[in-house]
Amino acid sequence: MISYIGKRMVAVIPIVLFATLVTFALIHISPVDPAEAYLTAAHIYPTPEILEQKRHEFGLDQPLLTQYMHTLQRISQLDFGTSYLTNKPVWDEVKVRLPATFELAVSSMLLSIVVSIPLGVLAAMRKNGWIDMLSRGISYFGASIPQFWLGYLLIFFFSVRLDWLPVEGRGTWQHLVLPTLTLSLVLIALYTRLLRSSVLEQLQETYVQYARTRGIRERVIMLKHVLKIAIAPLITSMGMNLGKLLTGTIIVEQVFSWPGFGRYFVEAIFNRDIPVIQCYVFLAACLFIVCNLLVDLVHLYMDPRISSKGRAEQ
Amino acid sequence: MSVRHRKTATLMLVVLLLLSVVLGCAKQENTPASTSTNGAANEKSITLSWPRDIGTMNPHVYNPSQLFAQSMVYEPLVSYKQGGKLEPALAESWTISKDGKIYTFKLRKGVKFSDGTLFNAAIVKKNFDAIMKNEKTHSWLGIVGVLDKTEAVDDSTFRMTLKEPYYPVLQDLSVVRPFRFLGEAGFPDDGDTSKGIKKPVGTGPWMLDEYKQDEYATFKRNPNYWGTAPKVDKITVKIIPDGETRVMAFEKGDLDLIYGEGVISLDAFKQLRDTNQYVTTLSEPVGTRSLLLNSSNPKLADLRVRLALQHGFNKQAMVEGVTSGLEETADTVLSKNYPYTNVNLQPVGYDVEKSKSLLDEAGWKLPAGGTVREKDGQQLDFELIFDKTDPIQKAMAETIQAEWGELGVKVNLTGLELTVQIKRLRSNQFDLYFWYNYGAPYDPHSFINVIAKKSFGISEVLSALPMKKDLDQQVYQALSSTDETKRQELYASILKTLQEQSAIVPISYIKKTAVYQKKITNFVFPANRDENPFEGIEIGK
Repeated sequence: MISYIGKRMVAVIPIVLFATLVTFALIHISPVDPAEAYLTAAHIYPTPEILEQKRHEFGLDQPLLTQYMHTLQRISQLDFGTSYLTNKPVWDEVKVRLPATFELAVSSMLLSIVVSIPLGVLAAMRKNGWIDMLSRGISYFGASIPQFWLGYLLIFFFSVRLDWLPVEGRGTWQHLVLPTLTLSLVLIALYTRLLRSSVLEQLQETYVQYARTRGIRERVIMLKHVLKIAIAPLITSMGMNLGKLLTGTIIVEQVFSWPGFGRYFVEAIFNRDIPVIQCYVFLAACLFIVCNLLVDLVHLYMDPRISSKGRAEQ
Repeated sequence: MSVRHRKTATLMLVVLLLLSVVLGCAKQENTPASTSTNGAANEKSITLSWPRDIGTMNPHVYNPSQLFAQSMVYEPLVSYKQGGKLEPALAESWTISKDGKIYTFKLRKGVKFSDGTLFNAAIVKKNFDAIMKNEKTHSWLGIVGVLDKTEAVDDSTFRMTLKEPYYPVLQDLSVVRPFRFLGEAGFPDDGDTSKGIKKPVGTGPWMLDEYKQDEYATFKRNPNYWGTAPKVDKITVKIIPDGETRVMAFEKGDLDLIYGEGVISLDAFKQLRDTNQYVTTLSEPVGTRSLLLNSSNPKLADLRVRLALQHGFNKQAMVEGVTSGLEETADTVLSKNYPYTNVNLQPVGYDVEKSKSLLDEAGWKLPAGGTVREKDGQQLDFELIFDKTDPIQKAMAETIQAEWGELGVKVNLTGLELTVQIKRLRSNQFDLYFWYNYGAPYDPHSFINVIAKKSFGISEVLSALPMKKDLDQQVYQALSSTDETKRQELYASILKTLQEQSAIVPISYIKKTAVYQKKITNFVFPANRDENPFEGIEIGK
């Protein structure tokens, strides 16, 4: 197990290197000069002299390879440079905002698990019954409605009309309710359908028929045998979605004025705050890799038939 | 699931739940008072929203610091008021030498910073030195280029000497940044404020009280303020980046005021106005939305073509249709609420027939069966570039494309990212471009400055005008003239030439919007585009 984790960690290095290279390349082929972007963001008129000065300051007058090596060296020390907009170290700014995003991602993931597992199982057990129809309705709605629109609808009903919850901001558990609902609905839609079909598939298996003939109660079959296997694709999907949630709460953070990492990133894009963009892409790549690894480890733990040796060699 | 598995799963779930509860509660004590009724009894406070964080509150730097917030804490020597009137602020009076090079300011006595320290000529000089240390950063402002030396003559006398006469010195001193004054306690040890300040200490009516980056900022009254104290005790600024959310927070009553340029959509403004539950107001023009017809393009170098294009679209219908009547049709490039701009100019009206005959006269004829005019085998086509994130620009571009299409002029639309758009303006790589002047207190002098000075994009737009050299000369004379009458004449002449040449086509006057709850009274838009409107605000019941 440990050697498997070790090997996987080593495999992370080229992926991260590739991510940094792609970001670096994208920034350099973009039509806007980073020095000019900095001056525009700072509302300073880019005279040729000051442009020259900034280019030198940012090291943009160095050869590309030197610039890239320098970037790598800094990133390896968790130094993402200084934000063009605020003049503060990017990592310090990110550190402050990550907990807010993390809080939102975790609560959304939890809510989606709590709702979709029973709903998915019940929908499969009562196929074509009212609960199945309900889950289908929720799934259609959740998968098709744009998140920002759902956010507005929830604010309109629960905050403006009913006055139950705050419109925006962060602080109390009440602030967390609407953004969590907005983010988790799409996950609930996905997980419920995934689990339903996976459970239905397992129910056709001979071991279920055998268990039934042995007179084991349906509930026991479901919880002890079927769910254990049926949940595997759900875990894979959750792993990928956790990465997405941690990096993709942008719209929801914007709508609910949630002071997280996503909102910070949006502002960075508008201002061409390149050090921040670089940091975001790097962290996103790392998060996805870590989530992927976690999923594999959970699979390994849940189903010992998967050989860690075999998986590692794949 | 085995017992072991079940235990692990339960444990994980409990840990995650606890984590989210702890994270959720950790922030509880930091929440600001969300409505004006919160806080101490009888405390009068208003809550408003702003799309971006207020920034570092450093008076000498630009983004991300927000102008309105800087203007709450820091004050200028001279204040810009309605109609361009310059009134004493931290300077009680001033004298200008006959040659227009020496400005001597008598500073207001008894002014204290919010920390109780005295405001005097020495601190004025210290601020000027800190600003001029980063001269290049501020070179966009005319005064920076002509400032030669500054002296603290005595405690209450500050003197500035210029390299050459430059009349808009006082206007430049009235802008929000960089020439405003930080108290001694705010200066970093090396005195270089461009790298940051220790704390925001100003002489203004407000001082920063609580601040949580990206979430909110509260300002309370400065107890040492020299002027009339504000009627409101506290102002809370909530940072809400999304316009729709801002409107809903206002409807719920979490916000008392939404104020600014483009902070809510025109649709939302209209919808709030139509409810009759709130007060909605529009400011005087703060800037002009214009269309640049780049005369360095040989097709647009012909005055007849430029005039034909201006005659050829129904400006009134377009402005009303696209902005729902919230912007005002503009007949002149500068509105008349700036100094020197109240000049009688002949509007270029909507006249399709005239437009067609001008194009014919210029040699651009419609080929038989064709839809695009041609001359010497060339089509009459242009590229109009616009900011793709700006819905008004997009709608106007499409209207213009359709109307000019009827005349036989082909317009290709290119939506660009703002930074790329600006880059193309500055490098003179465009045919048609939406442009805005700077507003008060920058105009009209900043406007005429970019007419003559290269690299801002406007001088290049006018480059093929036959009288361009004369125009530049007039601009230089107007900026350096010490004779008020002469200056007025020069401005009138410059504006007349521009109107006749039709290379900068005025479209509409942009206005600031304000929506507020009915309990707020005495709301007045500041004359200075960048300042705050909190000076006289009162709260009723």
